[in-house]
Amino acid sequence: MNSDPNKIIIEDVCFSYENVDENSGKAPRLALDGISASIEKGSYTAILGSNGSGKSTLAKIIDILEVPDSGRVVIFGKDTSNDELFWQIREHCCCVFQNPDNQIVGTMVEEDVAFGPENLGIPNPELRELVDQALKDVGLYELKDRETTALSGGQKQKLAIAGALAMKPDILILDEATAMLDPTSRDDFLSVVERMRVEKNLTLITITHDMTEALRCDKLIIINKGKVALEGTPEEIFMSEDLWQYGLKRPVKFNFAFEIAKLCGCKLTKEDLKSDEALTESLVKMLKTPGLKAPEALVSDKGDEENREIIMSVKGLSHSYDGNNTKAIDNINLDIRKGEVLGIVGESGCGKTTLITHMNAIVRPQEGEVVIHTDDGDLFCSNKKDTMKIRQNVGLVFQYPEYQLFEETVYKDISYGLKKMNVSQEEQKALIKEAADKVGLTDRELDASPFELSGGQKRRAAMAGVLVMKPKILVLDEPASGLDPRGRQEMFAIIKGLKESGTTIILVSHNMDEAAVNCDRICLIDNGKIQAVGTPKELFAMDRADELNVQRPRITRFSAVLKEKLEKVFTGIEFNEMDFVPEKEAEVIVRAVVKAGGSNE
Amino acid sequence: MSKEISLGRYYPAHSFLHDTDPRVKTILYAVYLVAIFIINQPITIGVLAGVILLQLILAKITPSILWSTVKPMLPLALFIFVINIFTIRQGDVLFSWKIITITGYGIEKAAIMAVRLVFLIISTSVLLTLTTTPVKMSDALEKLFAPLQVIKVPVHEMAMMMSIALRFIPTLAAETEKIMKAQQSRGADYDAGNFINKVKGYITVLIPLFVSSFRRADELAVAMDARCYRGGNGRTKLNPLKLTLRDVLCGIMFTLLAVLIVLIDFSLR
Repeated sequence: MNSDPNKIIIEDVCFSYENVDENSGKAPRLALDGISASIEKGSYTAILGSNGSGKSTLAKIIDILEVPDSGRVVIFGKDTSNDELFWQIREHCCCVFQNPDNQIVGTMVEEDVAFGPENLGIPNPELRELVDQALKDVGLYELKDRETTALSGGQKQKLAIAGALAMKPDILILDEATAMLDPTSRDDFLSVVERMRVEKNLTLITITHDMTEALRCDKLIIINKGKVALEGTPEEIFMSEDLWQYGLKRPVKFNFAFEIAKLCGCKLTKEDLKSDEALTESLVKMLKTPGLKAPEALVSDKGDEENREIIMSVKGLSHSYDGNNTKAIDNINLDIRKGEVLGIVGESGCGKTTLITHMNAIVRPQEGEVVIHTDDGDLFCSNKKDTMKIRQNVGLVFQYPEYQLFEETVYKDISYGLKKMNVSQEEQKALIKEAADKVGLTDRELDASPFELSGGQKRRAAMAGVLVMKPKILVLDEPASGLDPRGRQEMFAIIKGLKESGTTIILVSHNMDEAAVNCDRICLIDNGKIQAVGTPKELFAMDRADELNVQRPRITRFSAVLKEKLEKVFTGIEFNEMDFVPEKEAEVIVRAVVKAGGSNE
Repeated sequence: MSKEISLGRYYPAHSFLHDTDPRVKTILYAVYLVAIFIINQPITIGVLAGVILLQLILAKITPSILWSTVKPMLPLALFIFVINIFTIRQGDVLFSWKIITITGYGIEKAAIMAVRLVFLIISTSVLLTLTTTPVKMSDALEKLFAPLQVIKVPVHEMAMMMSIALRFIPTLAAETEKIMKAQQSRGADYDAGNFINKVKGYITVLIPLFVSSFRRADELAVAMDARCYRGGNGRTKLNPLKLTLRDVLCGIMFTLLAVLIVLIDFSLR
C-alpha cells in the first residue's frame, strides 16, 4: 500500500449521496465512481469538470467531510479511515466554499476568524496572535471590528481565507471560491491566496470553472462522471480535443491561437502553450507559411444599427438608498435600441442592479424617468398605473433565478405570471410550450418538480417563467454565473435565439470576454455613473480602452501582443482597430498578414 | 444595499454599555423586564423613562437609531392602546355612543400598556441587541445557564443556535427582498387584493425562502464541520468574558434603581 508522506493519495474511491433503495434494489447514482488521483505536497492543483461531475465531493473526501463508501484516502501518510487520525487530518486541511454568506459564523470579523482556532482549543494569547496575523495576511486587519454582513463579496471570501489561515493548515481547498466574485476581486483574492501558498508552504487545491484561472496551476485534474478523465500540466490538458465533452473549453487566448493555427493549416504543440512568448513566436512562424490563403472577408452586418428605433430610454435617473448619502446610481442617461443586445458591465456594487430594477418599475425613480416606447404609446416607470403593463413588456431575470422557484411542477411555476394576467388555460398551454422550447426544456422536465432538476435546468425553468409573458425587452442579470463553460455557451446560444426572434436584450455581466462577443453595444458603469457607451469595437480599441481605463477582454489583450510582434516581422502590415470582431479576431489577423504580402524577410 | 433591519441588530460602537459584561446586561435585562411589568403609577413610569434614557446615553445610541428600533413596533403599541381603550369600562365615562364606551381610567390603563411595550423594546435593544454582539450574548447565556448542564440541558448548543440565528437575520432579510423583487417581475403584487390574496402572495416568497434557508443551513453545517467545530467541550474564546469591578458596580447600581422604583410604585398605590 502506498502511503507516501509527501502526497495526497486517493485510491479507487466510490461515494454516493443516497443509500441503496431497499424497495427497488436500484443502485444509487455514484458521485465518485472509483476515482484515483494523487496530489503532491506543496503543489497547486486545479480540479476541473462540468456541473455535477463530482469535483466538490472529491474535495469533501479529502477533508473527511464525507466518508468514502469504498476505497482509500491517505493524506501525507495518514489514512483517513483511521479514527485516531481523524481530527489531525481535518485540523490541517481547510476549505473555502463558493457562497461567502454561508460560511461565516461570527457577527464580527475577528470573531469569525477565531471560530476555527477556538474549536481547536488554542488558548490566549496565542489565539489572539493567530487571529491578528491571519487578518494582516489577507489585508483585513483594519476591518477586524466590523460586522461581517457589512463586507463586500470579495472581502467576505478573504475573511474565509483568514479563518482558514488561523488554523495553520497544510492543505487549502478552494471550492469554486471565486465563482461569485467580479474580475477585480477575483484577481485580488487569487493573488492573496497564491502569496500565502508560497509563504506558508500550502498545498493548494482549487475547483473552478474558469479556464484562465486554471492556467495558474501546476497541474490539472479533469473529472467526468466521478472519474478522472484527464490529468496533466495545463499545456498538456489544453492540447486535448476532448475538453468539450467534459463540459470545458480552452482558455480564451488558447482558443484564439488554435484558430490561427487552423487557418494556417498548422498544428500547435504543447511546448507552444508553455508561455505567451513561445506561443506568439510559433504563431508568427505559422503566419509566415508561404501561400497562406485569406479567409473570406467579413460580412458586415452593421448599417442600420444607428437608425434603429429606440424602445426604452433612461433619462437622468438617480437613486440613493435609505440613510445613504452617496448615490447608488447618478444621472444615468441611456437609450436602448429595438432588437439589440446591450451589455451593462461594471464591478460589483457599481449600481448595475439598481439600474435594472428601475427598468421594470420594481424600484421607482427618485429622480429622472424610465420610458418604455411601445406600439400602444409610452409607458412611464414613475406612473403606478403603468406598472403591470411595464412588467409585461420588460421581463427581468435576476441572478441565480432558480432560487425563486416555488411551485409543485415546473409547468405550474412557469404559468404563475400568466395566471396573474388572467390568461385562459388553452392559451397558457401554448405559451408555456413556446417558452419551454425557447430555453430547451422537455415535456418530461415540465412535469417534474423544480427541485428535482439540475442547476442548469432550474435556471432555464426560471427563465421560462419570465419569457412566457412574451416580454419585448428582456433584462438578464448574470445569466451564466455558476455554470460550467459548456453551460455558459449554451446559455448564450439561448440568448442569441431570443435576439433573433426579435427580443431586445439587456445583459448584465462582469465578464468582458463574454460581453464583447455577445453584445452589440456595451454600457460601462463605474461608481453609479455611465463611463462610456459604444460598440465593443469602439470601447476596446487600444487608445480608447487606455483612456477609459477599462480592462480589455482577454482576447484583445493577447492579440495586441501578437499584433505588435507581427508589425515588426511583416513590414507594411496594417491593423484597423475598428475591424475588431472578437469571435473573428483570428481571421482578421490572417487577412492582414496576407494583405501585407506574406513574409518579406 | 438592503434596507436596515434594526430589530435584533447590533450597533457597532464603543460605549460604557457596549463594554459592560454581557452577563451583567442579561441579568439587568431580566430585572428591568420585571420592573416594567410591575409598576403602574405615572410618576414611577416617568422615573423609569429617565433611567432608560440614562442607559441610552451610556450606550451612545443616537435618536435616529432608537427611532428605527421602535418604529416597526409602533403599530402594535397603537393596536394595544386602542383595544384597551375600548375594552376597559371602569371609571368615569368620558364618551359613550352605542356599544363604544371610553373612560378616563381606560385611557390611562391603555397608555400604560402601550408605554410598557415601548419600554420593553427599548430595554431589549439597549441592554442586549444593540450593544451586545450575538457571539457575546450567546457566551453570556451559556455561562448563566451552565448549571442546567447538570440536568443534561444542551446549553452550549442552544447558545450557538441563537447566535447563528441572529447572525443570519440580515442575510435572510436581504434574501427575502431579492425573492420579492423576482416574483414582482413575474407579476406578483403584494399590495393589491384582499387579505387572502396577500397571504397567497407571500407563499411565493416563503417557499423559496424556506428552500434557500435549508440550503444555507446545509452549507453552513459543512463549513462549520470543516472548521473543526465539535461542540462546546474544549473550546477556547478569543474574547473570554471577564467580570470587572466596574461591571459589578454597574449591575448593582441599576438593580438598586429598579428596586427603588418598584418600592416607590408600591407606596404610591
